[in-house]
Amino acid sequence: MHETITETHSTAPSNKAVFSQLRRYFLYAFIAVGVLMFVLDYLASSVGSDTQEARAVDFETQSIAIAIAEEPPQLNSSLATDAVSGMVLGHIMEGLLRMGVDDQLEAGIAERWEVTPETATFWLRKDARWSDGEPITAKDFLFAWQTALDPDNASEYAFLLYAIKNAEAINQGNLPLTDLGVRIPDPHTLVVELERPVPFFDKMVVFPTFLPIRQDFYEATGGRFGADAKDLLYSGPFVMASWVHGSSLLLQKNPYYWDKDRIRLNEINVAYITSDVNARINFFKDERIAFTGLQAENLIDAMRQKWPIKRYQDGTVFFLEFNHREDRLSENLNFRRALQSVLDMEELVYKVTKLPGYRPGESLFPTFLMGVEKSFRQEYPATKIPVDYAQARAYLAQAKEELGLAEWPEFVLLCGDNPISNIQSEWVQGALKKHLGLTLKIDKQIFKQRLAKMTAGDFDLVLAGWGPDYNDPLTFGDLFASWNLNNRGRYASPEMDRLIAVAQNASTPQSRMEAFAGIQQLIIDDAVILPMYERGLTYVLHPKLKGVKRRVIGADTDFTNAYVER
Amino acid sequence: MADVSPTLPVDAFAPLDTAQSAEQLTRPSLSYWQDAWRRLQANKRAMASLGIVMALLLFTLAGPLVWQVDPTALDPDQISIAPGADRSAMVVDEYQPWVPPAPSRATSPGSLNLAFAESPTTQSVRLVWQTPIDTNVFGYRIYRNIFPVGAERNFGLPLTETGNPFFEDRLDLKPSAYYYTVIGLNEFGEETDLFATISTTLVRAITVPEARLKGLLGTLESAATGTELELKSHPLGTDYLGRDMLSRLMYGARVSLFIGFFAPLLYVLVGVIYGSIAGFLGGSVDQLMMRFADFVVALPFLLFMILFKVVFGIGPGESGIMPMLIAMVVLLWPGTARLVRGQILQIREEAYVSASRLLGAPTGYLIFRHMVPNTLGVILVTVTFAVPSAIFTEAFLSFIGMGVAPPTPSWGAMCNEGIKTMLTHPHEIIFPAALISITVLAFNLLGDGLRDALDARMRNQD
Repeated sequence: MHETITETHSTAPSNKAVFSQLRRYFLYAFIAVGVLMFVLDYLASSVGSDTQEARAVDFETQSIAIAIAEEPPQLNSSLATDAVSGMVLGHIMEGLLRMGVDDQLEAGIAERWEVTPETATFWLRKDARWSDGEPITAKDFLFAWQTALDPDNASEYAFLLYAIKNAEAINQGNLPLTDLGVRIPDPHTLVVELERPVPFFDKMVVFPTFLPIRQDFYEATGGRFGADAKDLLYSGPFVMASWVHGSSLLLQKNPYYWDKDRIRLNEINVAYITSDVNARINFFKDERIAFTGLQAENLIDAMRQKWPIKRYQDGTVFFLEFNHREDRLSENLNFRRALQSVLDMEELVYKVTKLPGYRPGESLFPTFLMGVEKSFRQEYPATKIPVDYAQARAYLAQAKEELGLAEWPEFVLLCGDNPISNIQSEWVQGALKKHLGLTLKIDKQIFKQRLAKMTAGDFDLVLAGWGPDYNDPLTFGDLFASWNLNNRGRYASPEMDRLIAVAQNASTPQSRMEAFAGIQQLIIDDAVILPMYERGLTYVLHPKLKGVKRRVIGADTDFTNAYVER
Repeated sequence: MADVSPTLPVDAFAPLDTAQSAEQLTRPSLSYWQDAWRRLQANKRAMASLGIVMALLLFTLAGPLVWQVDPTALDPDQISIAPGADRSAMVVDEYQPWVPPAPSRATSPGSLNLAFAESPTTQSVRLVWQTPIDTNVFGYRIYRNIFPVGAERNFGLPLTETGNPFFEDRLDLKPSAYYYTVIGLNEFGEETDLFATISTTLVRAITVPEARLKGLLGTLESAATGTELELKSHPLGTDYLGRDMLSRLMYGARVSLFIGFFAPLLYVLVGVIYGSIAGFLGGSVDQLMMRFADFVVALPFLLFMILFKVVFGIGPGESGIMPMLIAMVVLLWPGTARLVRGQILQIREEAYVSASRLLGAPTGYLIFRHMVPNTLGVILVTVTFAVPSAIFTEAFLSFIGMGVAPPTPSWGAMCNEGIKTMLTHPHEIIFPAALISITVLAFNLLGDGLRDALDARMRNQD
């Protein structure tokens, strides 16, 4: 009984006692949280990777840190197709030839080369070595090309090798790999027999698919070639010292590289892999990385921070592609013309996309391409279709009549799933609704899925883009050939095929360029696609980092000639 | 001791008038619901929340009747406009491609004589300068800044490189101050020391056909160049395509509130039926039913949502609202079912139920007279708490792109769009985010108040 009474007392203490007890609890909680923070911090620093210490630039060690948007999907050069892999391969590998700082071809592993209508001959330098010290020989190139053409490997870019004799037949499994038209008179000479005259074959060998692979190493990896840092053999200025998947890459100078005196950076630390532009900008702000791209939303902040902003045109053309398959309404010419005269690409570029360097689309051919003497677009300006809503509605009414429709059904607009595509597709949707009363459904897909749907023809309209593979108008010009697998809308016209054949086989630059001008005009007249814009990239660089090269063709961004200023 | 006989009035033995009641009731009798309502009224937070919920319903249902603006209509002239921004625009001639003047040469070294070719407007800014006599200049780079260039040569945004001594800027021109810089490039494309800066404050321009198209001219046939017009009003600003925020918020609320009301109503109904059957029957049936409920709890919601989308053939670009509703109904009922089953189990053993049963009440009477009314409070509280959680789920799913298809607005989708421009145009995320927060908070506080008010044990405790 006595105990019960005291207990009753203790459960109803005075206010003062409650407060003092509360204060004590708070103190304990505070100390506990503080201790926990220190413990966690200590644990994080002891087990965490070194990415925390990433420094944008370091003059003493000549090292830089950068971030990339995604993990390189494929570092096996015979299979790589994407820009991120191309960028990494551009630093760790070197092929026969490379692009110089002035965007001209430079000798790489080959010290001399010669292209004739029948053959292309490359004389390899004797001092070129793999990162394990073994010499790089002509055999390594032959093996790489055979690997890319092997039907079992299903390389998507094998068609780039079709200029080589028998390559196409080999890739389709009609001929054995050994029939490839490549001769090796001695270990340092490579003679390529051409299927047909390709005057720009030397420009093509810069592409990653043409990079060398050594047979014994490739076979020793047991199918894991390119999957990890140790499963790669390097011929380029850098070697991959470590690859923490999904997190970081560390590139270090290659001591066996034949031209190592040219390379001034000792280390490129790809410290972060993130597709979040804002995260990359914050890293740049904190001097953790030396380089990042900007989007329209970040421009004001970049100006406020007084960063040195740069821009360049990457030569990629984006367009609204129609599905020309026969069962589709978009196959109707007047329907396509209605869209052609209703979409104001200047409004898109100047008011919606809002990035400097973007140019309103007028043609399939971007402005950087060279014509006979001046740029192609200066020599052959594209016809401009004026925006005319009344005309567009007339076209649409005509199309409705031709198709015998009572009402327009909904159309599917396929597009990529990224902020820029989202805004643009909604702009197209809004503009067509407003001016033509058409209803569009937006089908957002990730890159791979979008390509698959484009190939399957599962769309009416698609926001697509095309970047140059080599420095010649043909890289754009043959896109809508009836035989081209990248012609995802399946546009087929004998006139187009004829013009492309002329461009491929023309003897003089003049007649070639005229054929390309014909293609340019046909695309506008037939409204094959609606060019939306030519992309420009806006980016910021650390002020002490010099010699960074942005490229239209080849590995972008190129840090091989970069250095850190004091 | 006097003989005192009691003296009683005669009428003392008359029966009492039946009209006179012994106990006068001083207060009207209160039913359970009246009492609950009275206690809810005393709860200021809950009443304020109730007011907010009412206002929200008004905003959603009556709002679009008052503010008749298409939430999907683009307004390219007013993209990402903040609330209350200046809307005046000057009528200008229609845009004509520019024919730049013939280049002229500067007379003194180191000068460009940078000037505007025409008075600059938001339609276009046309710059001309003279070819310098400095021999090391082979081209020009044009920069634009919205902050003064200053001594540290903070040129800002590079617009282009050109070989010609003129440039036209049409990129995203806003009615504000701009500082243009033209800098000479040497033969390698590197910047030289030769540069000139010019600044201007732009006026918003609109052409007559544009104004007519937007219905800004009213009854006028045309308007003279230089006339001032007011652009369409957007009280809460516009989003990244110039769509009206207020109207998008109103229409977006429809989706949010549709899911917010219907999903909880449906799954609570399923839960009540399931739970009362399990509770009333009891025994092994109850065990079996409740284990099935446990199984449903373990199913992942997001995965099922995606599966439903696929199974129902909801293609890309179509609204995912129906699969969302179905996924919620199919997966979220076990919580309510458990609660109701617990209540029923409890009530089943109450003395008044036994009494009622002894008096021969049929099962239906037991359920509808005793069980359901006594669980109603619990059910109501569950619904009120389920509403904000459903609204939040919808916002979250729309945020990750699983919900509505563009251009249909929803608060979650609007947040997803607004977060990209959070630093430059904060109003695009603040409004939808604030509405989600306020709605969820209001429903939670209301639910809290209801729980207190409907709790029979708290009766007469005020």
